[in-house]
Amino acid sequence: MKQALTFLIVIFFGSFLLFYGCAPKVIQPEQASTPTSKSKIQSEDDRAREAAIMEEELAKKQERERLLQEAMKSSLFQDILFDYDSYIIKTDDFPKLNDITNWLKKHKDIKIVVEGHCDERGTIEYNLALGQKRAEAVKDYLGRFGIEEKRIKTISYGKEIPVDPGHTEEAWAKNRRAHFRIE
Amino acid sequence: MKCKHFIALFVCLFFFVMPCEAKIYLDVYGKSFKKVTIAIPDFKSQSDEKTNVDMNELLNKDLDASGFFVVAPHTLFDRELTDEGIEKNEIKFGNWRSLGVEILCKGKVQGKNGDIIFEGFVYDTLDGTLLLAKRYTTKYVEWRKIVHRFADDIIYALTGEKGIMSSRIIFVSGGRYTKEIYTADIDGYNVKKITNYRSITILPSISPNGKYLAYTSYREGKPNLFIIDLEKNIESYTERGEGMKFGTSWRGNTLLYSHTAGKYSTIYALDIEKRNKKVLISREGIFASPCFSPDGARIVLVSDMHGGPQIFINDLSAGTIKRLTYSGNYNASPTFSPKGDLIAFVCSVEGAFEICTMNVDGSNQRVLTSGSMNDSPQFSPCGRYIIYTSQKGGKHTINLMLINGENKRTLKFTEGSEEQPKFIP
Repeated sequence: MKQALTFLIVIFFGSFLLFYGCAPKVIQPEQASTPTSKSKIQSEDDRAREAAIMEEELAKKQERERLLQEAMKSSLFQDILFDYDSYIIKTDDFPKLNDITNWLKKHKDIKIVVEGHCDERGTIEYNLALGQKRAEAVKDYLGRFGIEEKRIKTISYGKEIPVDPGHTEEAWAKNRRAHFRIE
Repeated sequence: MKCKHFIALFVCLFFFVMPCEAKIYLDVYGKSFKKVTIAIPDFKSQSDEKTNVDMNELLNKDLDASGFFVVAPHTLFDRELTDEGIEKNEIKFGNWRSLGVEILCKGKVQGKNGDIIFEGFVYDTLDGTLLLAKRYTTKYVEWRKIVHRFADDIIYALTGEKGIMSSRIIFVSGGRYTKEIYTADIDGYNVKKITNYRSITILPSISPNGKYLAYTSYREGKPNLFIIDLEKNIESYTERGEGMKFGTSWRGNTLLYSHTAGKYSTIYALDIEKRNKKVLISREGIFASPCFSPDGARIVLVSDMHGGPQIFINDLSAGTIKRLTYSGNYNASPTFSPKGDLIAFVCSVEGAFEICTMNVDGSNQRVLTSGSMNDSPQFSPCGRYIIYTSQKGGKHTINLMLINGENKRTLKFTEGSEEQPKFIP
């Protein structure tokens, strides 16, 4: 729901800028007929060019946004969950990671960050190292299937940012995760 | 850092009477020990202010918190005992003895030109021996410092080692996404915010001379290790390599830190003055939480090389790594005692995480806490206390106990969740 809303806002904002970019072009000939405002024309021209550039950038951004939305919607970038005190990727998660590999091969300009997280059990220090290992395990898997190392960053948050703040087995299971984000 | 607080405090020793061979009233290194009963009747005061009552209450609290004393309640003292003078010849020691009081502490408070002068006397009720007599002067507003100093001097006189009541603590406070480093007096006063990055900043540790502060912060978007020169107030060193870096212990100007990235974990010894970085261990898997033995010959650390986290000791000259913990599947965050005779650590017992101690060969393991999530054990500089974090629900509190697990106290500094405490050297 929230994602859909963001998308709508982006579209709305984008189309607004699109129209804004067009407007001076329409006015321009009228103003050109009055010789007094030569400098003004210049600036209007600049503005038009600027707007065009903005349009282009926005289009790129929009395309990126669309891709990410699509990726999120298809639940491609779901968290990879781990067993307690483990950084071994479960065989069940291999297809998921293969899908991510394929997607990354298709979208070569996109870089990702893999975050390693832990549940609240255990020491803060060990969990910081464990989170790093979880992120590295995912990076290693993607690397083995041909994703360049430089496209994947790893960050461990240890147990600092649980997705579920609860203190139950259920919450812990959700928190032991590798989380993806687009850089 | 420490000095600043004591510069203002003039301690004037006018006589300090102790037998040639100090009698140790308390041997606190035994398995358990008998607490000494001490009485601190109301201090004499020549001013109308209530400070003498507050000071008396604080001294009662300090000595009780120290874990070495049974502090006799004031309700036990009758009018005659309360009104009694502070000089030896004015005191009826027999009356105090009949109440079971072994040590008697008397004091006198005077105010003068915005200063406060406190005279404290400590007697053995058995024969009236004067064990300690000291005069302290400081600014009136800093009267708490005098009481903590006096409490530490009493503890020194009776146990042969200084107390911790004048100590300052460094710790981390905050919640999700923002954690900052703070310092405070151990009694919860004089809280200072050291970092303000509105980011996650954790694992502070201060070099023994108080000059350098190391911590790991996410303020640049990933966990980087920073070393701050506290005297010059500048960033002295930053480790920005990929992966997880965090420092855990100092020896002199050398910080031990671990760096986990790729397949490997590396333990570094970084001499911040000489700008010299040495690799101590570099292996596959997790190697973290390194801590020097006081003589610098060995380091204890945690590793998963045999499966789950276990504690290992690395003899630096021989290059050998020996496993110390075998019971349970989770033993982590080891730290050496200042004398080098004990290692405190965290172990998992029936789903809970407890603070434990063991000898340096791994023998004689003792569980000191029971049934919650405890973490980050650190010894006091005197080696008689362990300060640690305890988590109940979502909130962390900082706690203090004797190294035998007795006399647990929760310390409170800020309104928020508090964790990762260390004594400031």
